Amino acid sequence: MTAKNDFRYIGQPLPRREDRRFLIGKGRYLDDIAMPGALHACFVRSPHGHARILSVDCAAARAMPGVAGVFVGEDLACWTTSLRLAPPIEGLHPVEMTTLPIDKVRFHGDPVAVVLAEDRYVAEDAAERVEVEYEPIDSVVDTDSALRPDAPKVDEALSGNLVSHQFFSAGDIAARSAEAERIVEARFDLHRHTHSPMETRGCLADWDAGREHLTMHIGTQAPHPLRGQLAGRLRMRETQVTVISPDIGGAFGQKIALYREELAVAALSRHLARPVRWREDRMENLTSASHARETHCVTRASVRADGRILGLELELTEDFGAYCFYPANYMARVIAMILTGPYRINDYAFDVKVVLTNKCGNGPMRAPMAITSWVMDGTIDAVASDLGLEPLEVRRVNALRAEDLPFAMPTGEVLEDVTPLETLEAAAAAIDVPAFRQRQEEARQAGRLLGLGFCTVIESTTYGSQFYKAAGIPGSGHEAAWVRIEPSGVVNASVGLMGSGQGYETPLAQAVAEGLGVPTESVIVHMGHTDIAPYGMGSRGGRGATAGGGTLYLCAQKARDKALAIAAGMLNVNDAQGLRIHDGRIEQYLDAEWQHSGLTLSDVARRAYLDPTALPEGITPGLDVSLTYDPPPMTYSNATHACEVEIDPATGRLSIARYIVAEDCGTVLNPVVVKGQQQGAVAMGLSGALMEEVVYDSAGQNISATFADYLIASACEVPQIEILPMHTPNRRTPVGIKGMAEGGIMGSIGVIANAVNDALIPIGVRVEQLPLTPQRIRALLRAAECTDFRRTISETRMKTHDG
Amino acid sequence: MTAPVEISLVVNGETREIRVPPRKLLSDVLREDLHLTGTHVGCEHGICGACTVLIDGEPARSCLTFAVQMEGHEVTTIESVATGDAFGPLQQALHEEHGLQCGFCTAGIVMTFEAYLRENPDPDEAEVREVLSGNICRCTGYQSIVAAILKAARVIREGPSA
Repeated sequence: MTAKNDFRYIGQPLPRREDRRFLIGKGRYLDDIAMPGALHACFVRSPHGHARILSVDCAAARAMPGVAGVFVGEDLACWTTSLRLAPPIEGLHPVEMTTLPIDKVRFHGDPVAVVLAEDRYVAEDAAERVEVEYEPIDSVVDTDSALRPDAPKVDEALSGNLVSHQFFSAGDIAARSAEAERIVEARFDLHRHTHSPMETRGCLADWDAGREHLTMHIGTQAPHPLRGQLAGRLRMRETQVTVISPDIGGAFGQKIALYREELAVAALSRHLARPVRWREDRMENLTSASHARETHCVTRASVRADGRILGLELELTEDFGAYCFYPANYMARVIAMILTGPYRINDYAFDVKVVLTNKCGNGPMRAPMAITSWVMDGTIDAVASDLGLEPLEVRRVNALRAEDLPFAMPTGEVLEDVTPLETLEAAAAAIDVPAFRQRQEEARQAGRLLGLGFCTVIESTTYGSQFYKAAGIPGSGHEAAWVRIEPSGVVNASVGLMGSGQGYETPLAQAVAEGLGVPTESVIVHMGHTDIAPYGMGSRGGRGATAGGGTLYLCAQKARDKALAIAAGMLNVNDAQGLRIHDGRIEQYLDAEWQHSGLTLSDVARRAYLDPTALPEGITPGLDVSLTYDPPPMTYSNATHACEVEIDPATGRLSIARYIVAEDCGTVLNPVVVKGQQQGAVAMGLSGALMEEVVYDSAGQNISATFADYLIASACEVPQIEILPMHTPNRRTPVGIKGMAEGGIMGSIGVIANAVNDALIPIGVRVEQLPLTPQRIRALLRAAECTDFRRTISETRMKTHDG
Repeated sequence: MTAPVEISLVVNGETREIRVPPRKLLSDVLREDLHLTGTHVGCEHGICGACTVLIDGEPARSCLTFAVQMEGHEVTTIESVATGDAFGPLQQALHEEHGLQCGFCTAGIVMTFEAYLRENPDPDEAEVREVLSGNICRCTGYQSIVAAILKAARVIREGPSA
């Protein structure tokens, strides 16, 4: 492992390359692509949560001027195959869905028909003229009622709504609970979210009837897997489909799967031999794109009197919505696998149920395992509260220490090169806990509610192919790159990721620059075009830096080695020992120092391309190399979040006085981009924990379909976030990268709930359900005022009388 | 009622004569008819602020404005903010402070504060956050945007060396 300060290009705080085009209004997002003659698609969507489709009358819509066609599920079934998900995972039921529903709709917003017209206005007019006759069925809108034996079935091909059920046990939970001083039970309900990227979904499909080739312009995080899905479901070869991702206005996990609307648009472009484009509106995005979370957890911790956790049980139930675009255990499984995270727990059991309901289908949203750290660190706080201990001490008593590493979690996941106790102590020191406790006590005397929370995060970042294999999920975690030193000496490179706003272009160029030895500005990294980029697994989780940056770095080293072999021939030395590329110059180690040889990389490149007969024996012409790299089964980053809050007892308003993140995410390619990801993740996590909520009523109507209902935090709600960088390298990855960008969600959800509960200790209530809106906090305070608080007062009065 | 109407408006200093259906939104006319795609449409119901442009110098939601209402008015969009290759002070500060990620909300923020800083050259952080609350950013957490706006205000007041 190279020490951090040995890097020349990696770690530089370079500003982002994307900025210029975005700042002058010249970014190219999907809807900015002009395509003369394109038809505009508009989907007719179900107004019911659950209903049979009796008939669809398209005649009036078809007759409207400017309408090119109206199509329903049966039409699409002629031109596309169904999506069947049946990975060999025990306890997971196979599911299948058609491109558009044919017999029944399963949630409010389910697409029933699609109208194509000359412009979007006409398409929307015509969509309103499509007459669908429905026979409503009772909707199931919560997991409890969905699991009743007589519940209506969301998917009638299944025996019930329990689509996935897994359980696991390690160690001896019964023995640990027998030894325990106490069993502490805690509940955690994380509500339904949706990703809400500022740019909604959309696509532009362009069928070339002459070449029999589909070009699909679509903002996607995973261009090659999407191409495979498109080709397969259109019954085409992968050579017949090109996926091109323009600039993406945010994705957060929502732009990975091939959605039904996109497949329908592609099929119709081929059917009509015309370009077809679609951009969903915000209501469609909020109700019908993809939802996330809505996970209910119960933990039972067997604890000693000092707070040491001897054994831990988890019961998890996820409300998955109506359709599976991912294996139903995809997100829940990771939560259960890594729950024990930063703590030394060996006896552990979980029971994980995933349930179908009449809601928009779930998908991975930035931190698919978002609830994990709240559940674990919230359990710690429940233990501390029940035993009357300082929560920080309970963390210390259970924390993994450096000498415990590598540590195999009870699920078999191995942690090494992580520093959770170090980040905890750094965050605690920054807060000055004794001083805070004193302030808190003084405030309580004055009737004010102050709270302090901690939350330590173990963030699973890069999933290697061995993880996928062990999980039974088809797919791989490897990544692919090519690096081409062009005859002029500039460097083109490519990798199978696609950024959606993070700012990949600069840090990934830095990784190439480091591996090759050229200035960052001479490198361009091309992404998002399946005919240009190598087949890669795309952007998911926190894999961008480790899988993407790591692969590019190794590939650049391979290009460097070839360039140096050619340089050795040009310099008449035996081999490349004692040669290096430094800022694009070939240097020789002579007289105990590196000296410019007189050659540049451009000289070497010209020789490689234009004078190949002069190359050393065994060296092929050109400087064009490719490479694949499979990261370790899993890489982990870690962090501790600390947060001070105050609750206004009269209104339930929560204000955040201080927010700190101490984070170790390994070697950082570009600290500017990493800081942006850290702040952005915390903001998104807090927004979700405090404000955002997808709400369905009892009939399955989505009543959070605008940004006036689905509230996203503004600049007035997000606090200043102090970052304490504490990065240490991972010894198993190229240059020590660990990956990051989701942990901020995990930590912020946990820390804000823990801080609120700390503030509420004198009231005697505990938050078990998010979001922490003023209304919810007031309801808790009101309940306490009605019961405990009055009792406390009357007891106090009695004592006063007695005294 | 839906027959196209001829209107004359000034866009980024240039007089434009166009025929537009009365129901067509200003945001769509800017993007489709005038090919100024720097103005983005994020929600089409006036909450997110991505589509903010200046109408007669004042910030306005182009998704809540019909193009026909612009007869005789002056519209300013993100495309006019830089001078040739040179960023304006707000753009420069957003670049330096990493005040943007996906860039979709950026034009709306720049236009909002182009107007605001002209009339309020020395805002404090709380004032900047209050004004910025009309623009949703899903990526940055706002902290770097606030820092950039305060920096731009300083540069505009005191010159680039400040």
